Amino acid sequence: MSETIILRIENLHTFFYARSKQAFVRAVEGVDLEIMQGETLGVLGESGSGKTITALSVMGLVSTEPGVISGKIEFSSKGLQQNLLQDLDQYVQHQRKNGRIMAVQKDCGGWQRKTERLMGDIRGKEIAMIFQNPQSSLNPFVTVGKQITEAVQLNTEIKNSREAQQRALHWLERVKIDSPRLRYHNHPYGLSGGMCQRVMIAMALAAEPSLLIADEPTTGLDATIQAKVVELLMELKAVLNTTTMLISHDMEVIGRLSDRVAVMYGGRVMESGSVQEILRSKDGSNHPYTTALLGCIPEEKHIKDKITLQAIEGDVIDTMNIPGGCRFYPRCNQKNDRINQSCKEHEPALKEISPGHWVRCWLYYDE
Amino acid sequence: MTGMKQYAQASLMVTDPSSRSMWKQAAAIDLLYVGYGLFIVSLVVLSYILGSLNFLPHNPQEMDLSLLMAPPGVAGHLLGTDFMGRDILSRLIVGIQAYFVPGLLAIAIAITLGTVFGVLAGYRGGGVETAVLYLGNLVDSFPRLVLILLVIAAFKPDIYYIMIIVGLTNVPNVLSQVKGKINFLKQKNFIEAAVALGLKNRVIIFKHILWYNCRSLFIIQATLGMAEVILIETSLSYLGFGVQEPIPSWGNMVQSGANYLLQGKFWLSTTPALAILFTILGFHLLGDGLNNILEGRRST
Repeated sequence: MSETIILRIENLHTFFYARSKQAFVRAVEGVDLEIMQGETLGVLGESGSGKTITALSVMGLVSTEPGVISGKIEFSSKGLQQNLLQDLDQYVQHQRKNGRIMAVQKDCGGWQRKTERLMGDIRGKEIAMIFQNPQSSLNPFVTVGKQITEAVQLNTEIKNSREAQQRALHWLERVKIDSPRLRYHNHPYGLSGGMCQRVMIAMALAAEPSLLIADEPTTGLDATIQAKVVELLMELKAVLNTTTMLISHDMEVIGRLSDRVAVMYGGRVMESGSVQEILRSKDGSNHPYTTALLGCIPEEKHIKDKITLQAIEGDVIDTMNIPGGCRFYPRCNQKNDRINQSCKEHEPALKEISPGHWVRCWLYYDE
Repeated sequence: MTGMKQYAQASLMVTDPSSRSMWKQAAAIDLLYVGYGLFIVSLVVLSYILGSLNFLPHNPQEMDLSLLMAPPGVAGHLLGTDFMGRDILSRLIVGIQAYFVPGLLAIAIAITLGTVFGVLAGYRGGGVETAVLYLGNLVDSFPRLVLILLVIAAFKPDIYYIMIIVGLTNVPNVLSQVKGKINFLKQKNFIEAAVALGLKNRVIIFKHILWYNCRSLFIIQATLGMAEVILIETSLSYLGFGVQEPIPSWGNMVQSGANYLLQGKFWLSTTPALAILFTILGFHLLGDGLNNILEGRRST
């Protein structure tokens, strides 16, 4: 694994404006992520923790006003180096209070045009994306073969339709669809969810992108199909060595596929580090949120001794109304007298507790 | 290397998914519908060409006062003559002139404007959508026949004016259907996925939405639109506002012939009425059959 950084997200803010409540939904607030060449970064978190919005921000697909408002998304690959949010801040004006953005004015049309220009050569060619609910991401009236062929013609050097067709068929074989020659002529409704996901993976990989964003690739599929899709992704990862950003709330999937993991909560990265340090940590030096998440996985001892599973109490943070202190404070079960005051009032910064392992928690700060 | 070999072998097996397989899979009844519809359409086109070239059995305007209301077959008049002794067959053939170009105009207006506004409303959403839908409802809420009569009263009973109104009043219909298709695709997040794949907006709109998803809709609108045009002209002629004598149209032929029905001279209005019936049936069945075949409804 080389040490080239493919994607670096710095201080990304993506807010939405809820007109009915006159407030911002702070979907992503100050996220920093890095993805190296050839690695798989797992982004883990509950629903509503800002994982998908981070991915959509990278793709420039956040269109509702005001959408992405600031930050830096640096993409570099194949001699191309570009900040995907370059010069976009000229279309936005912020009003800050106590260092936090309170109001935004955005020229949506200008932003949109600029994004199209910035992303034109990158979407699909350099960064490809797999969505959840594969069946609904395909055009229902066109055969899957035609759709893959179109993706090939669009995003690779192959323009000849005959060759593109062969290439598409080749990819259908690569993603292990049985009897690809028959499936080539099927419409999406004629295929199962798992097969459609394979088609989506084929379409995304057909361009041989530098970065693949897999947004909950297994959600919406049955458990047995999930396992097969994960297996396929593992095999493709081994063969193609694609750099992947894998978004999931399924720790099993993240654990099997990722090299590094970032845990998100309430629009912030709470912890990041290698998969061993986070999901298979021996000494338990994790963020309390990660520990709580890990407590939700049923293990053998739970079944044998009939111990009830530990649920995380409370609800996911209301991103419209974020309190001043640590975002996880209301649900945290590891707060103690020493740090209680800090937890309540100040949000900790990410701290490197061991090389490459960053945690955002007062527990790891000595007074 | 084995991978390459498989790849090469596989390539030999790809058959071109041509339209032929679609026609082969179609149900016999749909083929019958389409066959009949195409027959009628070709008759209409043929009549239009013959009429334009003036290649007719008789002069449609020439009156023969010695042969008033002659029954079919008399003196070389295949379908007889009307109350002024004019050849009915020739007048039938020329009568299509009243519908052909004006009808196409009406259809073109409805589909073009409907598509433009439908795409605007569906793709943009927001304020544009509200405005477009409001306008559509405004047009829809006005009775069509009243609007046509108003225009006739203000200008003159010209078939082109009538057909422009028919086209405009059909716009909300096409608009809402196109918008519905786009909303359907949007809610299935297909459009987002297509953008992520790197497709340009215009490719998504023209190829994926309009060509792949709205193709059958346009065909149905076109065929039903033509049938509707004939019906509207007929009803207006019956009120005396359609194509004016002496220019023949099927509508005014039925209307003028109806006066002699009780005298037993049934062929005066029955022949154009039958022409209307079979033509409208043809257009309807063509639309229906094509719809079933294109959407693959019966075969799958």
